[in-house]
Amino acid sequence: MRRSKTGDWAAWAFLAPVTLYLAAFYAYPLYRNVELSLRNYTVRSFVQGGAPFAGLDNYRKILSDPTFGPALLHTVVFTGASLAFQFGIGLALAVFFHQHFPLSRTLRALFLVPWLLPLIVSASTWSWMLNSDAGVVNAALGAVGVGPVNWLTSPDWSLVSVIIANIWIGIPFNLVVLYSGLQAIPTTMYEAASLDGATGWQRFWRITFPLLRPVSAITLLLGLIYTLKVFDIIWIMTRGGPTDSSTTFATWSYRLGFGNLLPSFGPGAAVGNLLIVMALVFGLVYIRLQRRQRA
Amino acid sequence: MTRLLRTVAGVVLTAFMLFPVYWMINVSFTRDRDMRADPPHLFPVNGTLEGYRAVLDQQLPYLGTSLLVGLGTVALTVTLAAPAGYALAKLRPVGGGVLSFVLLIAQMIPGIIMAMGFYAIYLNLGVLNSIPGLILADSTIAVPFGVLIFTAFMSGIPEELMQAAVVDGAGRLRTFWSVVLPVSRNSIVTVSLFAFLWAWSDFIFASTLDGGGDHQPITLGIYQYIGNNNQQWNAIMATAVVASVPATILLVLAQRYVAAGVTAGAVKD
Amino acid sequence: MKTWRAVGAALAAIAIAGGAAACSDDDGDSPQAGSGGGTYAIWDPYPQFDDDSAWVKLLESCGTTAGVTVERTGYDTTDLTNKALLAAQQDNSPDVLIIDNPVISTLAEAGALTTTEETKLDTSAMEPNLLGAGQSGGKTYGVPIGANTLALYYNKDLLTKAGVDVASVKDWPSLTAALSKVKAAGKKGITFSAIGTEEGSFQFLPWFWGSGAQLTALDSPQAVSALALWTDWLKQGYAPNSVINNTQTTSWQEFASGDYAFSENGTWQLANAEKLDFEYGIIPIPASSGGTAPAPTGGEFVSIPAQSKTDRYATSQKLVACLTNADNLLATDTTLSYIAPVAAVQDKQIATDAKLKVWVDAVKAAKGRTGDNLGTKYPKISEPLWTATQAALSGSKTPQEALSAAQTTAASATK
Repeated sequence: MRRSKTGDWAAWAFLAPVTLYLAAFYAYPLYRNVELSLRNYTVRSFVQGGAPFAGLDNYRKILSDPTFGPALLHTVVFTGASLAFQFGIGLALAVFFHQHFPLSRTLRALFLVPWLLPLIVSASTWSWMLNSDAGVVNAALGAVGVGPVNWLTSPDWSLVSVIIANIWIGIPFNLVVLYSGLQAIPTTMYEAASLDGATGWQRFWRITFPLLRPVSAITLLLGLIYTLKVFDIIWIMTRGGPTDSSTTFATWSYRLGFGNLLPSFGPGAAVGNLLIVMALVFGLVYIRLQRRQRA
Repeated sequence: MTRLLRTVAGVVLTAFMLFPVYWMINVSFTRDRDMRADPPHLFPVNGTLEGYRAVLDQQLPYLGTSLLVGLGTVALTVTLAAPAGYALAKLRPVGGGVLSFVLLIAQMIPGIIMAMGFYAIYLNLGVLNSIPGLILADSTIAVPFGVLIFTAFMSGIPEELMQAAVVDGAGRLRTFWSVVLPVSRNSIVTVSLFAFLWAWSDFIFASTLDGGGDHQPITLGIYQYIGNNNQQWNAIMATAVVASVPATILLVLAQRYVAAGVTAGAVKD
Repeated sequence: MKTWRAVGAALAAIAIAGGAAACSDDDGDSPQAGSGGGTYAIWDPYPQFDDDSAWVKLLESCGTTAGVTVERTGYDTTDLTNKALLAAQQDNSPDVLIIDNPVISTLAEAGALTTTEETKLDTSAMEPNLLGAGQSGGKTYGVPIGANTLALYYNKDLLTKAGVDVASVKDWPSLTAALSKVKAAGKKGITFSAIGTEEGSFQFLPWFWGSGAQLTALDSPQAVSALALWTDWLKQGYAPNSVINNTQTTSWQEFASGDYAFSENGTWQLANAEKLDFEYGIIPIPASSGGTAPAPTGGEFVSIPAQSKTDRYATSQKLVACLTNADNLLATDTTLSYIAPVAAVQDKQIATDAKLKVWVDAVKAAKGRTGDNLGTKYPKISEPLWTATQAALSGSKTPQEALSAAQTTAASATK
C-alpha cells in the first residue's frame, strides 16, 4: 500500500483512542512520580502541598544508601533467574504439549490455573509450604533424609525461595505465548525435515528454535518488564528480608513509600523511577536488535 | 502407546505444577488449630467446612462484581487495542514506531504508581469507588499488551485479503470490520483471556480506587478474613478456591482458540 | 461456529448472573433510617466485620442518633495509613477515622487530624497512659477505642507434664529454665512473632523495656541482653526458627497446635483461647530481674480528620462521643477483646469476666510506643529495631553488632 497523507490521517484516526488513552492514563501518573522524586516530601508537605524542590537529592540519597548495592544485585539475580527458568520450562512444556495426545488441551488449560489465583493467596500458599517447621517441603525433605532448610528465614535461602515462587507464577504466561508461537510454524517444515532424516532434537534446534526467535524475544522482553515490577510475592513471603536479603528495587520502593509507619515518598519514587529506567534500557536494546534483524 | 505415555507424563507434570493449588485446597478445609501442625497433614483430617460456609454466605456479591469487571475490561481492551493493532500492522502511518515504543514503556510503570496517580484523576472525574472506574484502571494493565498482540498477528494477515477488499470498494473501516476482525478471531480470544485474567487477579487498583465502593471485587472481599489482629486462613483459601472455579471454566472453554496469537512476522508473506 | 456461539451464550449468562449477584447485595448495605442530615464517612481497620456485624450496626445507630447517615468502609490495617494520607491530600478524608495508635502522630504531623480542642471532644474520662499515644506537642488528636497488650499464654497440661511450676517463672533466668525443662520433655518451648514489620517490634518491646533499655539508646547493654535472650532461645531450640517470619496470628496457630508451652500474644486472642483443646493460663511477661515488664499498648484511636468544610466537625464530634460513651465502649471492647480505656468501664469488664483482671492490670502498666515524647521519631526507631532483631535471629549479626548498627541508623534518622 502506498503511503499517502490521507492514508496517514486515516491511520491516526484508528490510533487516536489509544493515544488519548495513553496520554490521559499513563503520562499523568508517570509525571506525578517523577515530580515526587524531585522534591523533598515530608508527610506534612505530601498532604498540605508546598514541598521544596530538591533536584537530584533523593537520587543521591538512595545511591548512597547501604541497601542500594544489595537491592541492585538481588534485582538482577531475581530477574535473571526467574526469566531463565520461566522461559526454559515454558518452552519445554510448550514443545511437549505441541505433540497432540489425549487430554493435552485440558492439561494445558489447567497449567494456567496459577494465574487465576490472587497473589496474596499464591504467595501465602508458598509461604506455608516453605515454613521451616510446619511446611510440607521440609517434611518431604525430611522423608528422604535431608535436613530442614530455613527457606524464608535464612538470609541465604530467602532469595531462592521467592525466585521459586515467582517462576511458578510466571510459567503460564510463557507457556501460552510460546505455544501460540509454535502453532504458527507450518508443519510442512517439520515434514520436510523428517524426510531429510532429522532427529527430534535436530528438528528443535534447526527449525523450531530459530523460527521461534521473534516470539522468544518479545516473550523475554515482556517477561523482563513484568518481573522487574514484581513485589507482591516477595513482600508477602519475606517482606524483603531477613535483613534485606531478598530486597529488590520493587520491594525497596514500596517499603520506602508504604511499608513503614512514616512514609518517605521522595526516595520511594526515586527507586521506582530507577526501575523504569532499567526496563527502558532493555527496551531500547530490544528495539536495536529488532532493527538489526530487519535490516 | 507413546501417546498414552505422553498423557501420563502430562498428568504427572500438571500434578506437580498444581501441587500448591492442592495445598491451598487442603488448607481451606483445615481447622485453625491444625494449621501449624508439625509435621503438616497432607490431607485435611478432621476437616472443617467453616471456611466454605463463610465464603458462600458472604463472598458471592464480590464474585459477581469481579465477573462484571473482568468482562468489562475485556470489552474495553479489545475495543481500544484492535483498531490500534490494525493501524500499526497494516496502515503503518508515520510515527507508528514511536507509538509502539511508548506502549512498551507504558507497561514498565509499577502498579502502585499508576494507582496513586489515578486516585486524583478519579476523584475529580467522580468515578472513584465505582465499577466503570475499576474497569478503566484494569484495562491499563492489558491494553498495551493487547496492541502488541494484535499488531503481531495482524501483520501476518496476507496482503491478498486486504487487496481483495479494496478492489471490492471497501474503505479502511469496512476492511477492518468485515475482513480483518473475523480473521483475527484467535488473537481476540488471546487478548481477551489475558485481559480477563489480569483484571480478575488485580488487587492494587481495586484497593486504591474501589476500596470504599459498594461493589468490590473478590480480591478485596478476601480481606474480610484478614482482620486487624487475626486472620482466618481457611476462609481465605476457600475464597480463592471458590473464586477460581468460574475463571477455570472460562479458561478451559477459551483455550481452544488461544492460538497463533503472537507470530511477530515469523511467517513471511 | 457453533462452539463459538455456545461460548458467547455461556459468557452472557455468566455476566447476567454476575450482575444480578453483584446488585442483589444492594438491599444489604443501603443505609437505613433515611435521615435528612447528610452522609458521614467512617473508615476503620476492621474488615473482618461485615455489614451485618454488631460493630457496623453500632456505627449506624450512632449516626441515626446524630441525625445523619453513616457510610462505613473497612480497610486492611496496614493499608489504612496510606489511604488516609492520600485522601487527606485530595481533601477526601473521612469524617471519622479509626486507626492504629502509633500512626496517630504521623497523621497529626501531616496536618491531617484535628485536635480535641478544635472539635470539643471530651477526653477527661480516658486513662492518661492510654491517651498518651495520641498526644504530641501538648495536644490530643484522638481518643482510644480500647487497648490491648501482650502477655504470656501458657499450656497448663504441657507444663504439668514437663514438671514446670508456672508460679516459679518470675524473671528471665527462671523462664529460660522452664523452657529447657519443656524441651527435655520432648516438646517445644515458646513462640512469638519477630517478623520484619511493626508487629515484630511490638512483640520485642516488652523484653526490650523489661531489660531496662530505652528506645533512645538501642545499643545499651540492657538492650543487647534482651536481644541475646531471644537469640539464645533460638540457638538452644527453645523457640522455633519460624518466629523470624511469624505474624502474631501464625504464632498463635503454633501455640494452638498444642506443641508449645508458651506463646507471647495479646488480649485479642482471648476469644480464640476459649476454643483451645487444652487448658491455658496467662502470666504477665516478666522483666529481666523480676516484676512485670512494661508492655506496649495496642489498639486503635478514634480521630476526626481535618476537613475543608469545618461545619462538619460538630456532627463528627457527636458520632465519636456516641462511639466512646461508656455503654458502647463496653460492647465494642467486648467484641474486639480489648480492654476499655475508661476506668469505670474496666471495672465493669472485670465484673462480667474475672479473668480479665490480669489484662486490665497489664494495660494499666503498659506504655504507648509513641509516648515519652517520641511521636514521629518512633517509626524511625522501630524500623532499625526490627531489622536488628531479624539480623540477630537469622544469625547474620551478633546482637551487639545488630543493635549498634540499628542505633546508628536510628540516631541519624531522628536528628
